[in-house]
Amino acid sequence: MKRFLFMLLVCCITLNGYASVVHLKGYKSAFLVAQVSGKVKDDKGNPLAGVSVKVQGSTTVALTDINGVFKVQAPDGATLIFTYVGFEDQKVVLNGQTTLAITLVEKTIGLNEVVAVGYGIQQKRDVTGATSTVTAREIAKRPLVRVEQALQGTTAGVTVSSNSGQPGAGLSVKIRGANSITGSTDPLYVIDGYIGGNIESITPSDIQSLEILKDASATAIYGSRGANGVVLITTKTGKVGKPVVSINTWFSKASIPKELDLMNAYDFARTVNAQFATTGNPAAFSDADLAGFKNKPGTDWQRAVQQKPWIRNYQADVSGGSDNVNYLVSFNHLDQPGLILNQYYKRTTFRANLGIKLNDRMDVKINLTTLLPQSRNTGYQGDITDPFAQSSQWDPTSPIRDASGNYIFKSKYASNQINPVAQANNQQVDVSSTNITGTGVFTYRILNDLTLTSNNTYETQSQLTQTLYGLNTGLGLVGGDYAAVESGKYRSYQTSDFLTYKKKLGDHSLTVTALYEFSSRENTGVKAQANNLSSYALGYYNLGLGATQLTTSNYYEDALQSFMGRVNYTYKDKYLLTASVRSDGSSHLTQKYSTFPSLAVGWNAARERFIQKLDIFSDLKLRASWGKTGNQAVGAYATIPQYVSGSPAYYFDGVKPSVATPLGSPVSNTLKWETTTTTDAGLDVSFFSGRLTFTADAYHKKITNLLYNYQAPYYLGGGLYQRNIGSLDNKGIEFALGGTPLVGKVKWSTNFTISFNRNRVVDLGGLDNVVVNNIGSAQNGVAILKIGKPLGEFYGYQFLGTWKTSEAAQAAQFGMKPGDAKYTDVNGDHKYTSDDLMPIGNGSPKYSFGFINDVSYGNFTLSFMFQGTYGNQIYSGTIPYTLGGLGDARNATSTTALSIWTPTNETNNPTFSSTSQNFINSSRFVYNASYIKLKNLSLGYTIPTAVLSRVGIRSLEIYVSGQNIWTITKYPGYDPEVSNSTNAITQGLETGVIPNPKTYTVGLRATL
Amino acid sequence: MKTRYSIPLAFIVLASLFGCQKKLTEDPKANLTPVNYLKTQADLDAAVASIYAKYAVDGAYAFTNKSTSYFGADDLTTDPGLNKGDMRAFDQLNGSSGNTSMQAQWNGPWTAIYQANNVITNYKQVSSTDLLKNQAVGQAYFLRAWGYYNLVRTFGQVPLIDKVISVDDRPARSSVSDVYTLIVNDLKIAKRLLPTSFPGQPGRANQLAARSMLADVYLTMAGWPLKKTDSYALAATEADSVIQSNTYSLVNDYGTVFTTNNNSESVFAIQFNVGGGSPNRTFGSSSVPLDEVASNGSSGWDDYYPEINFFLNAPKCARTDATFYTTLKLIQPDKSFKLVPWSSSETHAGHPYYKKFRAGVNDGVIETATGIQGINPSTNKTTDIIRYPLVLLDYAEASAMSSGGPSAAAYAAINKVRVRAGLPNLTPGLSATDFQKAVVNERGYEFAGEFGIRWFDIVRLQMLPEIIAARGDKENPINFTGDISQRYIAPIPQNEMYRNPSWTQNPGY
Repeated sequence: MKRFLFMLLVCCITLNGYASVVHLKGYKSAFLVAQVSGKVKDDKGNPLAGVSVKVQGSTTVALTDINGVFKVQAPDGATLIFTYVGFEDQKVVLNGQTTLAITLVEKTIGLNEVVAVGYGIQQKRDVTGATSTVTAREIAKRPLVRVEQALQGTTAGVTVSSNSGQPGAGLSVKIRGANSITGSTDPLYVIDGYIGGNIESITPSDIQSLEILKDASATAIYGSRGANGVVLITTKTGKVGKPVVSINTWFSKASIPKELDLMNAYDFARTVNAQFATTGNPAAFSDADLAGFKNKPGTDWQRAVQQKPWIRNYQADVSGGSDNVNYLVSFNHLDQPGLILNQYYKRTTFRANLGIKLNDRMDVKINLTTLLPQSRNTGYQGDITDPFAQSSQWDPTSPIRDASGNYIFKSKYASNQINPVAQANNQQVDVSSTNITGTGVFTYRILNDLTLTSNNTYETQSQLTQTLYGLNTGLGLVGGDYAAVESGKYRSYQTSDFLTYKKKLGDHSLTVTALYEFSSRENTGVKAQANNLSSYALGYYNLGLGATQLTTSNYYEDALQSFMGRVNYTYKDKYLLTASVRSDGSSHLTQKYSTFPSLAVGWNAARERFIQKLDIFSDLKLRASWGKTGNQAVGAYATIPQYVSGSPAYYFDGVKPSVATPLGSPVSNTLKWETTTTTDAGLDVSFFSGRLTFTADAYHKKITNLLYNYQAPYYLGGGLYQRNIGSLDNKGIEFALGGTPLVGKVKWSTNFTISFNRNRVVDLGGLDNVVVNNIGSAQNGVAILKIGKPLGEFYGYQFLGTWKTSEAAQAAQFGMKPGDAKYTDVNGDHKYTSDDLMPIGNGSPKYSFGFINDVSYGNFTLSFMFQGTYGNQIYSGTIPYTLGGLGDARNATSTTALSIWTPTNETNNPTFSSTSQNFINSSRFVYNASYIKLKNLSLGYTIPTAVLSRVGIRSLEIYVSGQNIWTITKYPGYDPEVSNSTNAITQGLETGVIPNPKTYTVGLRATL
Repeated sequence: MKTRYSIPLAFIVLASLFGCQKKLTEDPKANLTPVNYLKTQADLDAAVASIYAKYAVDGAYAFTNKSTSYFGADDLTTDPGLNKGDMRAFDQLNGSSGNTSMQAQWNGPWTAIYQANNVITNYKQVSSTDLLKNQAVGQAYFLRAWGYYNLVRTFGQVPLIDKVISVDDRPARSSVSDVYTLIVNDLKIAKRLLPTSFPGQPGRANQLAARSMLADVYLTMAGWPLKKTDSYALAATEADSVIQSNTYSLVNDYGTVFTTNNNSESVFAIQFNVGGGSPNRTFGSSSVPLDEVASNGSSGWDDYYPEINFFLNAPKCARTDATFYTTLKLIQPDKSFKLVPWSSSETHAGHPYYKKFRAGVNDGVIETATGIQGINPSTNKTTDIIRYPLVLLDYAEASAMSSGGPSAAAYAAINKVRVRAGLPNLTPGLSATDFQKAVVNERGYEFAGEFGIRWFDIVRLQMLPEIIAARGDKENPINFTGDISQRYIAPIPQNEMYRNPSWTQNPGY
């Protein structure tokens, strides 16, 4: 299918790939009309095809051909306007010339550019809020799979981290620190005006620009959904001219970047024997066994569960347009197998963007996207059923299969869970969905100064999840085998209707926006599960084979109704003012409406004569803003007490089920939105005609009515319930420094961003602290919220190494012996109890940074990007299990076990002992996780046009690149960037998740 | 041209403005809420079933190794290494508030009490007959009492919550005596409201279960910490009423008790159903040695087994043979099995194991005398909470202690149990205290490994010093260095202490 479409696109385009001149209406003039011809090139000397050449004041338009050549009829003295996407417009006044050599300069986003600001566009120089932009050109540099990757390292104040290396997994994006400890900390994505759109549906190559709105002046217009910052995504549209076909294809070889140091079979076996000896148990492995292991290393389970796949991405689009219609149609297919056996993510996306000019006053825009993702086993959570997490805990003396080729499911040593290779290969969680999103925008210029815009989006998604845990899976071995099919249907509707009034009177210019918006969502789901199937020959396709059946269904619906008004006022283009107020009414809350105001001022100082006299700045702008935004961390029906359906029945005779409907968790019916009040001051400055730019922002965000999913005491059922428990402070500064140090034959452009954020818990509703539980297997407070402390604070015992022989008497007071683990005894009672728990580290970075460079020479371009964080720690939930004696991990697998304490070698690794207390929540497992990563290194070569024009290709670039290929870090786990927790309190807690792959890529970009 | 599009455009705008408007009120169509639920008898039945269901999960009473505080007794111990830290800590009398497994002993009863309080608070609003409503709420009272009985014996003072309370309420811990008052009152109500049987539904608590439970509660109240010796007589009366009802009889073969569900001596049991998602894990793999691997590759979990001296001191009888597993079957490379005695140096633990918890209802360990075909961790076996022998032994002890010495009826009661076990009648003419000792010893072996019965005997009679003295040197060493008298109750789980900042932890923890 995809191949067919690709061929079709190629054929269509080849037919049209030659020079053309478009004559529209005749040109009436007293002057003699002559034919003017010429050639348009870029600053590297490459001819530009498809450049529009317009005679000013007429309707005559010509386009350059594949060699950049154009011909146009124009009178002498006329002005020709050259426009081309991504380049600065250029005007040439004809003064007798009939041949022209034109060089267009590539656009950089300067203060004069137009940027999206939400419910409208604005000139960059008039923007009073703190915003950043990522352009299509920036996105094109890397083989991106997800939109969020485009934000990583490119934007000050934005921290992007991957929660897992699972294929297709989303990334966690935080704009200016965490604003919530309950709700998502991800920003609000607004796709062509559709708020909260599905970013999975956006292919990175379809993006024209990403605007990141950071302060409340920019985000308050999104009210109760704006607190985490807003990312405005504008997709590409076709430009006037003949069809242009672009092709962007790449192939990446992916692999796990690092493996843990684990013991081979011999070392493992003698370690088990040593462990058994300390507790008086007989040896597990005989001398003969040990001798046998010396000659063979045993099973490397980390390797055994891995694969090193090729990731493939195909993208093609065709775009073009006339005066009245423009279009862009794109197709993308991504095939991304996972790093673990039997794991993949595939995605096909179609997009059609159509713009129709009905008349001088009315425009219609229609964007239609179809997303078809498909995945298998991409939901591993690092728990005991996760083959990757288990691979570092499994017995290396056990082969994967027995002599007859059947899986060996269990081992007596190390992990008590199922063989991870068997688990990976025999479980199937297949998810596929169809998502269709259509946006229609009507614009009607009612009066010259007054425009009505109606932006309407309808999204529908059907999802099917088919699950099979057969007999040869962990569940199957304990009689819990099942097959299930879950189907869901989601729809969302949004209408945004706003009037924009723009008036310029002398030095005063005013823009007023008034909005009404309504959105609603609805979700229906049904799940059928069959347990203990009599045959698994049909997989999950026939649930009728189940010994018992369980069917559940669910439904929710919600709505949000909003009003918003905004005023932008500028005086002499120097003094800027923006004020807005939004009122959001939500079905989720008992008290429906909340109000979110904002106010911002700006000063274009570069326009003041006294600044201009200094002749230092090419631009200088100062900004200040204040505003309130909300976070919708209260779900539908959260204030209504409920009974739980679908929980296991009770069997009063052991056979016949009686339905059980327990009362659910208690609820608080006084919930309010979390409210973030942000104050921001910023500075935009540029020097040397924009060759050096600098932006700085300082902010203070106070989050009040902080929502927390509080765990009820067990006498209240023990479930989670939401409560507004306090307030939180975020303070930070961020800098972006950009420049073009070299512009000659070697061109070098560079961009450095760095952001510092500090947060602090200010109030917990009268409590001093709240201990956060139930993370992984460590259920006893691994994180804590404490007044005066930042989020992400780890909580546990302070590990002091081992008791030494010289401390035997002291150790005995604790009932311990030399070699046992030693911790800080805070209250001095010679016992390690909960009174000795203390903060032992923090998962939030002191600063994070990105450094991007592009160097070009001739047809070669070298790009590299470093990205990193400093000052954060990771609490590893993986490493403790490799030391054994915990949960289902019975024996140590880590090479650390080879250097445990002995009377003759008193190391700080506790010995095997039945008196030692080896706490999982201890500083022993807290590691420095600062890192610098070479996120991308890419070398591209643009084939000279002279070569290409013979085969009808406009441009062709080939490149090779590597991602995550080099990391500097002290973290001993898999990947310092990955932690499985998206929650701000538990950030930095890692529990066996798959690291980000290291990839090597080859790709090509072509236009036809 | 302008007007040509204006009208449709205006229409579209108006339609989008008003066409899809909905009120902002919520209507949870797929969720049961107090507005639409607990109105009919069927609703009430489902609410009552959910109380039972809360007890029948791993996080409550479906898994012996989650009842870690019971490991302080001599009938339960575990591996010195491996992943058995939670159980081992209590075996060494050194458990802490952070013990993860122990949380089941707190969470299980409380989540059930929460459901029981819902039924007790709201049952009157149901439109049904008084008879059916009373039967429903009677079970709720029984199950609430049972939950509190376990909580107060395990943790000492706990808050008294007897209705649905507000989400922000954080009640204080009540005195042990007040908790017992609630338990006794609840059981008296249950006794009054419940029928003597629920035909075809043996899993439901009936009037006789309430009387049996009340007898056991009174017996416990006579011991530590309340020491209300006048409740011995009350215990004897309640137990006697059950005996006189002639409803229950001992199963002839002791071993069969553990391979059949709801047999003739089962007074109250938790029901399980593997296919329905509620498996019993106390039977099967849990008590099987690490060394034992079945021919299908499944293996033992080695979670719990008896202490050596507890086994060695067991009376020689058929019951002992059915209780303990003393010959291990070790699989060989050729898939044959080598039989070795428990004390062999070829075994990992060097301990005897429990036989009675292996088979389940033939769905746990599948084995013959010479080989093991499969070891499953999830069984459909019921867990008996009150077996008739408990009623008999409660009666024997209580009547002897309340009347200054054992009566003929007291002897008859204990001898019924002994005879079934394959033992001779108890020496006649014992003093009250000697008779009590004999009964407690009988309970130890009749209920070895069963649901904390041994541990709670040790607690109510303050037997730790003698239990520690009898402990062999091959057991996990007692490394607790503090006051042993503080070890009779477990610490409140640390998480719950965090959620109740005004509470004080039990002394010594």
